[in-house]
Amino acid sequence: MKQTQKTDLILIVDHIQTYIEQFHILQNVSVEVPRNSITVMLGRNGAGKTTTLKSILGLTPPREGKIIFDGMEIQGKRAFNIVNLGIGFVPEHRAIFRQLSVFENLKLAERTKGDLDRSGDFIFDLFPDLKRLIKLPGNHLSGGQQQMLAVARALVPENKLLLIDEPSEGLAPILIQQMMEAIQKLSATTTVLLVEQNFIMASQLADYYYIIDDGKSVHNGLMKDLIKNEDLVKEYLGATAGKVVSGGLQ
Amino acid sequence: MSEHKIQRRMTIRNLLQREKAFLIFILLMVAFPFVLGTITGTGINHGVTKFWQGQLIVFFVMAVVAMSYDLLIGYCGILSFGHAAFFGAGAYTTALLFTHWAPSFSTKYRIFIPGGGDITGILIFAFVILMAVLASVLVGLLFSATSVRLKGAYFAMLTLALAEALHILAKASDFIKWTGADEGLHGVPVPAWINPTQFRPRFYFIALVFLFVSYLFIRRFTNSPAGKVIIGTRENEERVRMIGYNPVTYRTLTFVVSAIFAGLAGAMFSMWNMSATHSMTSTVITVNALIMVILGGMGTLVGGIVGAGLLQAFSHFFYDWFGPRWPLMFGLIFIISVLFFPYGIVGTWRLKRLQIKEGWARLIALLAVKKE
Amino acid sequence: MNNNNKRRTYFISGFFVLLLVLIILAWQTLGTAPFVRTSLSGLTLGSLFFMVAAGLTLIFGLMDVLNFAHGSMFMLGAYMGWQFYTNPTFIFGTAPLWLAFATGVFLLPILKPFLIRLELSESWQNALPRLAYALMVVFLLIGLLGVNIMEMADTAMVAITTTVVSNPLSEIGPQEPISSFWIRPLALFLAGAMTAVGASKPGNKKEYATDENRSRNLIILAFLIITTIILTIFREALPVAVLLMNGNLRFALAILTAVLFGFMFGMVIEITFIRPLYQRHMFSILMTLGLAFVIGEVVHILWSPLAYQMVRPPFFAQPGKAETVWEWFQNGNATLNVFGVTFPTYRLFIIVLGLLMFVSLIILMTKTRMGMIIRAGVQDPEMVEALGINVRQVFTLVFALGVAMAALGGIGAAPFIPVQPLMGDQFLMQGFITVVLGGMGSYIGAFVGAITLGMARAFGDYFALRLSLSPAIAEASTVIIMIIVLLVRPSGLFGKKE
Repeated sequence: MKQTQKTDLILIVDHIQTYIEQFHILQNVSVEVPRNSITVMLGRNGAGKTTTLKSILGLTPPREGKIIFDGMEIQGKRAFNIVNLGIGFVPEHRAIFRQLSVFENLKLAERTKGDLDRSGDFIFDLFPDLKRLIKLPGNHLSGGQQQMLAVARALVPENKLLLIDEPSEGLAPILIQQMMEAIQKLSATTTVLLVEQNFIMASQLADYYYIIDDGKSVHNGLMKDLIKNEDLVKEYLGATAGKVVSGGLQ
Repeated sequence: MSEHKIQRRMTIRNLLQREKAFLIFILLMVAFPFVLGTITGTGINHGVTKFWQGQLIVFFVMAVVAMSYDLLIGYCGILSFGHAAFFGAGAYTTALLFTHWAPSFSTKYRIFIPGGGDITGILIFAFVILMAVLASVLVGLLFSATSVRLKGAYFAMLTLALAEALHILAKASDFIKWTGADEGLHGVPVPAWINPTQFRPRFYFIALVFLFVSYLFIRRFTNSPAGKVIIGTRENEERVRMIGYNPVTYRTLTFVVSAIFAGLAGAMFSMWNMSATHSMTSTVITVNALIMVILGGMGTLVGGIVGAGLLQAFSHFFYDWFGPRWPLMFGLIFIISVLFFPYGIVGTWRLKRLQIKEGWARLIALLAVKKE
Repeated sequence: MNNNNKRRTYFISGFFVLLLVLIILAWQTLGTAPFVRTSLSGLTLGSLFFMVAAGLTLIFGLMDVLNFAHGSMFMLGAYMGWQFYTNPTFIFGTAPLWLAFATGVFLLPILKPFLIRLELSESWQNALPRLAYALMVVFLLIGLLGVNIMEMADTAMVAITTTVVSNPLSEIGPQEPISSFWIRPLALFLAGAMTAVGASKPGNKKEYATDENRSRNLIILAFLIITTIILTIFREALPVAVLLMNGNLRFALAILTAVLFGFMFGMVIEITFIRPLYQRHMFSILMTLGLAFVIGEVVHILWSPLAYQMVRPPFFAQPGKAETVWEWFQNGNATLNVFGVTFPTYRLFIIVLGLLMFVSLIILMTKTRMGMIIRAGVQDPEMVEALGINVRQVFTLVFALGVAMAALGGIGAAPFIPVQPLMGDQFLMQGFITVVLGGMGSYIGAFVGAITLGMARAFGDYFALRLSLSPAIAEASTVIIMIIVLLVRPSGLFGKKE
């Protein structure tokens, strides 16, 4: 039973420890992401969620522990090599290239020639705004448009796994809705590992959850179980998220 | 109040204890001319003994340059490539005043103390040194003023350009009447009592005292509360500002202290050579200071002295081994040092010593456990 | 953000208005002829400043490394071009050696995929690279001991003074015979190969390498090997052949040589000395300063501190003044009539060279994927890496490109200013001022800054002369421009990054 489950995992993060300079940021994080699902990492600010994503990508390589992607050990490899295995990354704070136009931003994300031609229709279907703005430089876009571009950029090449860091950060409610729909659509064809502060969004999207606290992964399970566990949510994610849960139950 | 006093006395005593190695070094240097003179039988103002004193004088002066540079790069974390400007300002001011002002002044005016003694020479000397310090302090203030808005690479660039501008002016043919342009000033009439060719041992001991006092002063400065704040600005300027210190004030202070000692060293150097040439303002001076500090170890002060000693000692032998382009060897050593030993000799030794001590402690602990 | 943009626009337009006013003022006070002559001199200088500043600004923008060795790269470009033009014995004599070493190192991408798959015990994994490096040193010693580089460098001036037309190098002593020389390239190739073995860390399972490009790599390797063999065999015949060439063609090849040399030199410097220090910012700057020092010393050793004057190629050297551009193209006159002013044609060539470089740079930055990557990398190199792009390789290429541009400036300047070990220092300082004026990381800023500074220098020299001051005053006072710009607007005219 357990064996078959293992093969269904696209990503296994096995007890990784990551240092940034002399600071011990990730002390013990383990995450398993099943194929074709949405897994969300929850936790307070500074708990180490973003560092976990960056450790997977090799941007802040872990000192200890294993990371297995699609059956292959990837820890210690250079970031661009890891990414080229089929991982897309949407960074926090809408880190698009502001000096480049929308088109150039998308073009830059191509891994092989013609990626954009192939995936263009899908992307512009998902975010029709971008098609209209295609020639504009990145710094002329609004915050929401920048976030969409950041997501779109990760969709240009074919990816087996998408790492999305705080897609709802600083977005208006209506845009959050649009973003959620987009991520929902994505999960039909690929696997998503999400970091999200917005508990409503996370609880509606995700199939599985992980709670990261103080550089350690402390809890995990099915999202539908977490929604029922008000105490746990309150303990790790704060009172607001707790209210959402209790409100959701009523 | 009394507590304060006790603490201060304690620190001076601590200082002496902590600086045992430095004091031994100074004592050795004091003994050096006499010992060598006795061995060779030439007397301390002649032959080999005189020659080696000359080598050591340059070493002492360059050691002060290195220490003043270490104050900036090692303690304050400022990358300034204009150290030659401090040095050159001191050197040129001294040479210019001795050449163009002192002779005419001393023929026109004589100053006597009430008892009847003639102190004109001493006063002129003191004034010239004061002016040299003032000139380099002015350059230092200019640097620190720009450092308010400029950080890192920008500041390094600006200081290099400023020093280069001074270098160009030193070479400029417009001031040939005063500076001698490309030729430089030669045969500067330094006061007779300090003349380095006539009274070599006297100059030697003055240079040694200069090094000794500079070291103690800079060491005291870095250990003072102000010194701690300066180290703090190196680590995290924002935090220092948050605690309530103004980093700008402290950086300016560092620049002034660094400029004073570099300028004094420049004055010493020009008196030693009895000349001032544009090479004293060139980047080579900065690079030499840099090599000395990096080689010896940044942020250690002693490192500067060690580096200067190595540079001076090896330059003597390297000249024999590699011919006139011996500085190439130092460049290579510098590059290797930057790549593989960024803490320099003193820094690496301190790190390793700690490791050795730890190893000892562990071994002793192991043995103790076994005994039980 | 928007406000900032607006301020920048105001600043730039204000700057240009000021410039225009100054130009008109200068024109009115000077009269047309001196104005045109001074402007053209300014453009010549500006063109050279731009070639230095473009690399500086790109390297700083992308990698945060301020290259204090950039002036030395300029100087090296001048020396290489001058050597190739007057007497390429040194270049062709040493080329087989370092090319053989480079060929050996190039085995790395071919060998690595095989070597890392080897099953080796841990002690072998540690021992093998050390063994390889030790062998490398042995091979290096075999290859290099006894090579008389000094003698080859000394031959530079002989070729010009010779009278034998059929063989310009007849007065130069014979080089080592091929029968004993061949062992040197071989040993250096093996040394390079050992470096490749050591660097690929055999048996290390954490290393990663693909053999996707194997066929391409093999073709390049074959090309390198064949070139090395040809250069080894013809290393004495080739310099003579080059010297018997048409002077203009020789000059074009000299430019190419300098640029190629700059590119490869930049690559080697970046990989060996700069790359290990990206994490330690201060040390990378110290390193470049140390490199400048060492390069200067090496050039001193090879060519002594003397200043050499490179002869202008025939296209710019025929006596007499051309009235039109067409006449110049036909006769190759030394001077040309520009708006009633007699101006040296070679200096016009420098202006054209600078403009050509600027246009190619614009095309590179806006039309190619490489340019896109560079512009993106200036903002956020980490994110570029996260898109699956090998940023480290991009860094190497940009560094090499920057050095190649400086080398181009050097060879461009060589027939115009004396070639001597300190020639780069002045250009480094002016390059800094240019970059500060234009804004770090902006190549357009570098262009505007360079032209402005070149003009300032030319007019400064002119007025200094009128006031019977030396040009040194004008040169030293350009630092004031730098101070003002840094204090008023540290990010410069077009800078985006503080």
